[in-house]
Parts: sequence; C-alpha cells; structure tokens
Amino acid sequence: MGTPAPRPDVRLDDGPMQSVTCTACAAQVLARKSSWDQTSVQWTEQALAACNERRQTLPPQERPNRNAFLGCSALKESIREAAVRGSLEIQDQDPLKTNPEGHQ
Amino acid sequence: MTEDTAVRRIEVDAAPTRFARGWHCLGLERDLSDGKPHQINAFGQKLVVFAGEDGAVNVLDAYCRHMGGDLSQGTVKGNEIACPFHDWRWGGDGRCKQIPYARRVPLRARTAAWPTMIQDGMVFVWNDPEGNPPPADVTIPRIPQVDSDRWTDWLWYETVIEGANCREIVDNVVDMAHFFYIHYSFPTYFKNVFEGTSAYQYMNGTGREDIRAARGGSSPVVLGTTSVAAYHGPSFMIDEVTYHYEDMDVDTILINCHYPIDSNSFVLQYGIIVEKKEGVSDDEAEQLAATTGKFIKYGFEQDVAIWKSKTKIDNPLLCEEDGPVYQLRRWYEQFYVDAAEVTPEMTDRFEFEIDTTRPNEAWRTEVEANLAARAATS
Ligand code: FES
Ligand SMILES: [Fe+2]
Repeated sequence: MGTPAPRPDVRLDDGPMQSVTCTACAAQVLARKSSWDQTSVQWTEQALAACNERRQTLPPQERPNRNAFLGCSALKESIREAAVRGSLEIQDQDPLKTNPEGHQ
Repeated sequence: MTEDTAVRRIEVDAAPTRFARGWHCLGLERDLSDGKPHQINAFGQKLVVFAGEDGAVNVLDAYCRHMGGDLSQGTVKGNEIACPFHDWRWGGDGRCKQIPYARRVPLRARTAAWPTMIQDGMVFVWNDPEGNPPPADVTIPRIPQVDSDRWTDWLWYETVIEGANCREIVDNVVDMAHFFYIHYSFPTYFKNVFEGTSAYQYMNGTGREDIRAARGGSSPVVLGTTSVAAYHGPSFMIDEVTYHYEDMDVDTILINCHYPIDSNSFVLQYGIIVEKKEGVSDDEAEQLAATTGKFIKYGFEQDVAIWKSKTKIDNPLLCEEDGPVYQLRRWYEQFYVDAAEVTPEMTDRFEFEIDTTRPNEAWRTEVEANLAARAATS
C-alpha cells in the first residue's frame, strides 16, 4: 500500500482519551478535556447508532453546511459530569504533576 | 539526555504516490463550456475539457491515441473534440467517433474519459486511482443560493501554487492560530467535526481594530463573523460566512477548492456569492463580493508564502490550544488509500472544541499593542 499509518496526536502522550458513557443513551465514547472549556470526543459507529439526539430528524436547511449533526447535548452534559466527578481528567489543572496529594 | 535538552527532530514521511480519490472542481461551467477546448493539468496528467453542441461538459485525456496529438490544442466540432494533428474526432465518452479520411474507425479507438458533474454552476471531475465510478453516496451538497436572484453571481478566482503539496491547504481547516497571524482574523470560537467524507470547521470571530484602522476607508465596520466551513471530500470546501455589521448581517458563501497538478503544485480556486439584502443595492452587494474576494486573496497569498518556505512535517509538536491536526490528517488519509482500505478510524465522527480563553487574552494584548504603536507614530 505504501502509505504510512496515521500517527496519533502527540498531545495524547500527556493525557490519553478516556472512556465516558452517556447517561441518556449509554453510548460509549472516548473523551479528553484540555480545560473545562475544551473537549474532544471520539465516536464509534455503535455510539452514533445509540445516540438519541442523532436520530432526531430536523427540517432540512436550504444551506449547504447546516444539515450536519452538531453534537449531542446529553453527551456533553455526561462528559462534564464525569469531569466534575473526577473520573475524566482535565489536562489544564494537572494536579497529579504539581500536587500529587491533591488528587485521589 | 533528558526530555528537556533533547532536540526534537522533524519527521517527514514519503510523499503520497497517488492523487486523492474524490470530486474535484475544475472551475465554472460558464468559463469551461464556451465551445473551446480547455487544457487542464491535473492529477499528474494533461486533460482536455470541452463542451460540444449538446452542452455536456466532457473531460478526456488530452493526448490523442492516434499519434499523440494534444487535443487541448484542437477544435470542438459538433459534440466532439477534433485533434489538431489529423482531425480524429473524439466523443465525450472517450470513443473515436469519426476519422474524416478513413473508411472506418479502428477497434480499440478509445481514450480515457473522466466522470464529470455540473452542479451550481461548477464543473467537477471524479478522480479515482482505482478507476472506479463515483459512488452514489459521495456527493457535494447543493448550494441553492447560486440560482437565487437574491444572491450575486459567482465571482471566481484561480491561482497556481508552485512548490507545495495540496495537503498544506487542507491543514488550514484545523489551524485556529494561523487565522489570527496569517489571515488577520480573531477567532473567539473554534470547533472541528470530522465525519465520513466531510470535515467541518465552526468559527466565530470578532473584528480586529488594529487591521480595520489600517485598511481605513469609508467601508462599513465589520464587528464580527460567524462561519461554518466544511470540506466535502478531499478538495472542495464550502464556507458560509455571515458578516456582522453595526446595522445589519450580510451572508456570503465562499468556495475554496483545489486540484493537484502534480505532487508539488496545485491550482487553487475560490469563489464568492453574496446575499443581496433588503436595503443593499445590487452594486453594493457586488462591491462587497469584490472586497471580500480581495481580502481572501490577500490571505491566501500569505498562506502561499508560508507553504513555499516551510517543510513538510509529519510529527508537528502541538500545544493544547492548537486544533486537531493529527486527527484531520487521519481523516484526509481516507482519500489516499484504496476504497477497501478505508478504516473506521479515518471516518468515525470526531469532535474537537478549543478553549479560546488563553489565545484571546494573548491576541487582545497584541491588538492593543499594535494600536498603541500606531498612535505613537501618528
Ligand atoms: S494524432 Fe490525433 S489525429 Fe493524429
Ligand atoms: Fe490559511
């Protein structure tokens, strides 16, 4: 084939993607938070198939780019909750490196 | 050596040996279907694009299968392209239809014809290194605004970029910071979503006072922009930009597309249509389209200067405030492998939203410094 395999994001060396389950539909995704306001989400085909909001059909838009699925609000909330609980790490705070005692 | 003192090495993988599978826009139908043959250098080959009397736009390999004449130097006769060397007539389906001086056309008189599509005033050609026809579900979204009286006609630009592989331009879609430094915009919201064959960029920006003042003039002040841009396939991007002015919003649709000439040069094209708002005259709308076009052209020229002098880098070192460069390249890879080799990781949905707090602090400081410096010298 000759094409080198896609490389993983270098930033994952410092903090990998972690599993999060949606409280609404039980879809499992991988998520990573750099800060409270920065999130990445890796979906799978199964997760997308499970998502309730994804299935909701909106009236088609006349605009070429406005018919795409923007994201799931229930999942967004689940990811936030996981971060609040501490089961999803936030890179920004990095308590493990600077203050190991401050993190359970 | 410790992590801190080791020099990070730039890694460069072999350049791709093929051209991307997908629909590529070659230009506007109004320009290419004027009854003349057009030479297009694309995908490492020379092609001829022509429209005959039936109006169909055809794309053929430019070299005549008789003695190698260049069909793009020929003449359109009826629905066929006539070779300038011995007048063999080639149809849009790639078959030789007639040899005026011969009793009959030899068997195997067939050349390569490329699948084409006309949509919203643009001509698309399908490239597939495996030679398969375009799958029915690989499409370019319609832009109904093109046909609307309430929108201006396409303003279209074309430029040849030498000394860079077209993948450099695709990286732009995730590169938030470069929009500040290269394109003089000020992103305040930035999110990418990749899924299937599309790669989206949601970006909101605020006006830059330091640039605005420098451009001067009596043109109305842009307070901010809202943009939804997406690559649909490897080379065709639609960008819906709303410009927020003090008194109104103006909607524009931009196209940013390219086709590779070879692995080290490509043709970049961009087009603009602008909504004719209530209270905005046709002239004003055309004027806005032209001004926007000039600004985009300026931005691309700055991109090009970077591309020409930069190195290819397959292990970019990223900070948390950078966009998903690796994941974009993983998505882009799907167009360079056989259709059967496309893996779920290339096409599965991926979302990346950047926290712009820290970048915005830094940029605000820089804008203020620029304004202060200008005030001091004037
Ligand atoms: S080479 Fe084309 S007709 Fe002879
Ligand atoms: Fe750019």
